[in-house]
Amino acid sequence: MANVLDKLLSLDRRWIFLLVLLCVGTPIVLPIGLPVATTGSTRAAFDYIEALKPGDYVWISFDYGPSSAPENDPMAEAILRQCFAKKIRVIVCAFYPLGGLGLATNSLAKVTAQFPNVRYGEDYVNLGYKDGAAAAMRRLGENIAEAFPADVNGTSLTQIPIMKGVRSIRQVQLVVSVATGVIGEYWITQVHSQIGTPIIIGPTAVAAPKYYAYLNAGQLVGMLGGMKGAAEYEKLLSARYPDMARFYQTTRGFTATKGMDGQTVIHAVIILFILIGNIAYMSRRAAQKKGA
Amino acid sequence: MHIPGIETWIAAFLTLAAMSFLYKDNPFFRFAESLFAGISLGYFIGITLNQTLVPNLIQPLHQDFAQNWDLLVPGLLGVLLYMRYVPKIGWISRYALSIYVAYYIGLDFTRRIHGEVLPQLARAIVPLTQFDSHTIFYSLIFALGVFSVLIYFFFSKEQDAVTRRVARLGIWFLMISFGAAFGFTVMGRVALLIGRLNFLILDWIYPMVGLG
Repeated sequence: MANVLDKLLSLDRRWIFLLVLLCVGTPIVLPIGLPVATTGSTRAAFDYIEALKPGDYVWISFDYGPSSAPENDPMAEAILRQCFAKKIRVIVCAFYPLGGLGLATNSLAKVTAQFPNVRYGEDYVNLGYKDGAAAAMRRLGENIAEAFPADVNGTSLTQIPIMKGVRSIRQVQLVVSVATGVIGEYWITQVHSQIGTPIIIGPTAVAAPKYYAYLNAGQLVGMLGGMKGAAEYEKLLSARYPDMARFYQTTRGFTATKGMDGQTVIHAVIILFILIGNIAYMSRRAAQKKGA
Repeated sequence: MHIPGIETWIAAFLTLAAMSFLYKDNPFFRFAESLFAGISLGYFIGITLNQTLVPNLIQPLHQDFAQNWDLLVPGLLGVLLYMRYVPKIGWISRYALSIYVAYYIGLDFTRRIHGEVLPQLARAIVPLTQFDSHTIFYSLIFALGVFSVLIYFFFSKEQDAVTRRVARLGIWFLMISFGAAFGFTVMGRVALLIGRLNFLILDWIYPMVGLG
């Protein structure tokens, strides 16, 4: 037994990489369909948007890049689907420099293809990317056109019908920041704290723990933590809208719900690794003490 | 069966090149790494120019100079930052940098105090008389955690027998929070692997074997 544990402690880590690859890859080829339980913070986010009226404004900020797209894309797309299904007007922007705008454009193209009645400029607008997130957010509280004089195509905001009803972010009912890194915090501390606009954050799992402090302090109305949060949102959306349920069941594209199979399997394996590693370490230490 | 487009092949090659580092360092990985760094920089320059400098500075000056002449000031400060590349007049860039730093200190100061410290401090001070037993239990744990961690980080006085015990409790709270952060980090990193494997299997391999 001691021999086996010693071998495990000196195992080439590349075997573990291979095992992780198999554990994550197998559920993609052979989906398991494990259940996803919803949590309070995700339900609060979903219910808040459900309570909005048709014609209300939701500002969705794409504050992430391709490096966290598997976590953040499903969140952003699920929220866009909910907004369009409820005829809520959506203003999109990006504050993340490396790919935020590209991902916003891709997600909008993907989701609006499912809603043929939704028209650009009337039901949604893409304001593009802006440098200096914190400073730009401060301007949004006074005049959106000072931070974003034109949309992503260079059209002046005065010529875009959807922007006629909203001069500053004070007239927006909700801000959703799908975020990696610090930009989500700027929305809370610059916009919510200074202006009072309600905020929902969809952070990557790595960033999620720090947002619990804001959630606990009542500075967020809801939060979707990582891929798990996105999968919960997809479940809530499917339960509320039968069309969405059909879409999420039949799409060949990537969804967070599909990703959770691999997550669950690999988490079980990692817990096993931690247990084995600790047992091997402690038994070796006990053997060394005995020998001393 | 259909052969995926060239963009899918490039993306698949670069994904495998990046992942090959897990076996050992190799020229394919270094090529992918350098390419990524170069493309990121080029993309950043392009997007800042097109989405920020043109609509917020160049267009307003071009369309209505009399109304927007004040934009020349931040524009000039931006140009001054690049003076550091001219050794003889490099000192000029410090003026622009000092204004930039001062602005963000002011912005961040109010952000931290008004947006983080005060609201979270207010949440940490809750009356225990107005809640049910469940909320009181969590509030007590919360208060205990805040107090013991603060004691742990109090370095102005040497710890005695009592404060050492409280600080030790603070370490336990910190360890639990690090554990939670580690769990989330594992989930985040696995999510990225899931995203890449989904792409390799569903967008690259499946169409080639007639399953896409």
